[in-house]
Amino acid sequence: MASTANKPAPGKKTGSSRKRQNTHEGFLTHNRMYWAKLSGALALALILLYIFVPLPGTHFGSSWLGYTLGTIGALLILWLTMLGMRKRAITPGRWSLKAWTSAHVYLGLLVTVVGTLHSGFYFGWNVHTLAWALMLLVVGSGIFGIYAYATLPRALSANRYDEEGAITEKQMIEALRSLDRQIHDAAQPLDAQAAVLVGQSLEQDPFGGSFWNRVTGNYPNCATRHAINELRAIRASRQRTKEDLLGKIDAQLTRKESMLERLRQHLKLKSWLQAWLYIHVPVTFALIAALSAHVVSVFFYW
Amino acid sequence: MSFVVRQIALKSSGEEIVRSSNYGMREMTVGRDSACAIHLPDLAVNPVHARIALGADGLLTVTATTEQPFEVNGRSTRQAEVDPAVGGELAFGGHRIAVSQDEDGATPVLTVRRVEAVSDSAEDRDIGAAYSLKGLLPGKRLSAWGFSLLVLFAFLALPLYSYMSAKPLAMQADARRADGFHADETWTSGPLSVSHKALNDDCQACHTQAFVAVTDKACLTCHTKDAHDHISDKARLVQSRGEPTGMAAMQRAVAGAFNRPAGRCVDCHTEHEGAGAMPATQQQFCADCHNGMKGRLPDTKIADAADFGTAHPQFRPMIISGMDGDKPLLKRVAWSADLQEDNGLKFTHGQHLSKTNGIAQMVRRMPGQFTGKDALQCADCHATDSSGTRFQPVKMEESCQSCHSLSFDQIGGTTRTLRHGEPAMVVADLRAFYRGTAPARPANLSGMARRVPGDAALRSTAADYARAVRFYPGGADQAINQVFSKGGMCNDCHVVTRGGTTQTAGFAIQPVAQNDRYFRKGWFDHKAHVQADCAECHTGAATSNKATDLLVPGIDGKGGCRTCHVGGEGAKLASVSVKDPVDSSCAMCHSYHMDAGAPWVPKNDRKKAAGQTVAIAERPRFPVKLH
Repeated sequence: MASTANKPAPGKKTGSSRKRQNTHEGFLTHNRMYWAKLSGALALALILLYIFVPLPGTHFGSSWLGYTLGTIGALLILWLTMLGMRKRAITPGRWSLKAWTSAHVYLGLLVTVVGTLHSGFYFGWNVHTLAWALMLLVVGSGIFGIYAYATLPRALSANRYDEEGAITEKQMIEALRSLDRQIHDAAQPLDAQAAVLVGQSLEQDPFGGSFWNRVTGNYPNCATRHAINELRAIRASRQRTKEDLLGKIDAQLTRKESMLERLRQHLKLKSWLQAWLYIHVPVTFALIAALSAHVVSVFFYW
Repeated sequence: MSFVVRQIALKSSGEEIVRSSNYGMREMTVGRDSACAIHLPDLAVNPVHARIALGADGLLTVTATTEQPFEVNGRSTRQAEVDPAVGGELAFGGHRIAVSQDEDGATPVLTVRRVEAVSDSAEDRDIGAAYSLKGLLPGKRLSAWGFSLLVLFAFLALPLYSYMSAKPLAMQADARRADGFHADETWTSGPLSVSHKALNDDCQACHTQAFVAVTDKACLTCHTKDAHDHISDKARLVQSRGEPTGMAAMQRAVAGAFNRPAGRCVDCHTEHEGAGAMPATQQQFCADCHNGMKGRLPDTKIADAADFGTAHPQFRPMIISGMDGDKPLLKRVAWSADLQEDNGLKFTHGQHLSKTNGIAQMVRRMPGQFTGKDALQCADCHATDSSGTRFQPVKMEESCQSCHSLSFDQIGGTTRTLRHGEPAMVVADLRAFYRGTAPARPANLSGMARRVPGDAALRSTAADYARAVRFYPGGADQAINQVFSKGGMCNDCHVVTRGGTTQTAGFAIQPVAQNDRYFRKGWFDHKAHVQADCAECHTGAATSNKATDLLVPGIDGKGGCRTCHVGGEGAKLASVSVKDPVDSSCAMCHSYHMDAGAPWVPKNDRKKAAGQTVAIAERPRFPVKLH
């Protein structure tokens, strides 16, 4: 998958350098885009067939070309769905998972051409157009997935790196825990009002928030942000003392906030990498259901 | 009087460390402040949250120092009494203080334990799940099942239910499903045509049985009178179609395997193709049999045809071949450029359409009376019928008489004309004219002067006049002869023979017939060609100087149909360049059922032929009595 595009080439991992030789070939360019070329050629051939083959009836599902396209499309959809099963078994070589994924992507694009030609461009409020629309939704979410896989891992990496090197997901939590402990200890002398504010920051789940918060990376109810703002207001209204406890806590909360920001950016990118599958997979099954209803209906009211 | 406070901390291994200390006082403070006897490093706890006092009766009184409460045995309060003998639990923020008694039965023991982590992040969590969308979105498996079942329910189960519940009504001519939406309508592949619109809610009107392709029987349930076979002899139909070969044979085999027999009404009358008129039957359906049919059906009288542009026989117009009394005898002959048809008139188109002769001059002298300014136009004589398809017969009174006048007398400003089409009446009128009138009386005979000698001239005039009066009625015969003979009114246009009765003074007019439809096996609509000039097709009109010239165009040549009509699939365009090609499959001119109407216009737009009834796509409504 494209997310592996940023992983180092097989071999010894040095860990010292961020600059790596990229010998990786993603599923998009697999085998010199063999499946892209094949799908493109098939799409062109089918379109030419559609235009030039004289059909006895109108261009519709119910001509020999229509039935042929429909059969090809339905079988293609079933085969494409099988990637979910196939991906759980990793094999090398000609029918490697990468080859299979490459074929999945390009034949998945081809299925829109097959399905649309099968429709003969007749659309209406019926189960047939429903199946077609679900197919487009599945392919559309798949295209988005490819876009996500091709672009987001780079941003994900960039977000994990800073001047001290990369940070892992586990380290992100550890960093937060450490900051929380420090804040907790430092905040002990605080009065009740300020302690509650700091306490809210500590009690808030860093992985909390809704799906919307996740995908936008926008957390308007962030207790840490809130605590920083409120404590700054309190600090501004008070006389400065020699021991600036609030100033110290502010510095620590600010560090926590920047860590949280990085975590949230990470969560946001990961959610984009995953969210499309929550459409792609369930709608695929809805599509197969609609496809079954479509096929049954055609033969039922023959 | 003292307290024992046990602070319990946890090692990372989970092992407990207990630090016990004695406080020899009656009252202790609980709070975050390190000065408190019970120090709770907890931000949810106030610096001095509560006081615990030991009473003389051994009871502990816990009192909050501020408005902020604490919990006793799970209940929030600001003051409480706890009996160490009984025991109890106090909760401050993330800490619990268990109250008990020492073994001596006198010293209360307060066991302090942190139960909540310092922060939420410090709590254990499954990293894999935390970084995924788990819990934020319904699971993929769940929604996959949900969506699929929803779709199967709405688009498979419900339609099947509609079908099953209305099944008993199928194939009953007088039964109909209830109006309104039925779930199986989601199975439609498109709206029905105009004529079947009313059946849009009633799938089972045609789809009577599950997994059985629409049968002719379903069509004939309603079309009891207006549907009939192309030819009655089915064997000939099959023979003319021949055995399919190659691709067609495979299609037939596949269709057969899927229980879709060939030769049904719906093979040609396709439906669900939009809400307009039913689409025209594809050329292929005709050509399957008619292409090379002579080879398969040698005794057929019908010529082979496959595509109008490339394979269509020459037209065979129906022309007048003679007259049987007043009725024309019609005959179909192959069209040729010099085909002649005698309609009994001497009218020549070339003469009348000329722009230079006396006729044109007459048009110029009577501005406003004709369509054109400088010569006669087609429309001056030819008017279309109400549908615009064909032309009405030319009427003498309306189209000819303004020039070819039949007037013979004038009385007090009123012109008397001879009766057109009634030669006997012409003869009678002329005779009456000569009997009832006298020659004009000479002026010099009209005075009152007495006769005086020497006016011999006057006497001679009187004698001449008397003779003229005596013989005046005999002039009628001369006039009648004149009218019917060359140079006479009738003879200008009609062929006059000497075979008449005495009533018509021995003259006879050759009967006239006007042919209103030359192509009876095909459909030609003038209205569809209204953009074109008449002469574009009737090219010979302006130069035809023979009355018998047939000006109807043929399939080819100048003005022929193929000038524009290139056939169904434009095969002709491969070899010939056509300026404005018109796609014209068989159905444009030929109707399968061959009634008198135009092919492929919605039936309600057609002029209804006598004896033809059209089924209406509407059946009696619910409720019906079921037997």
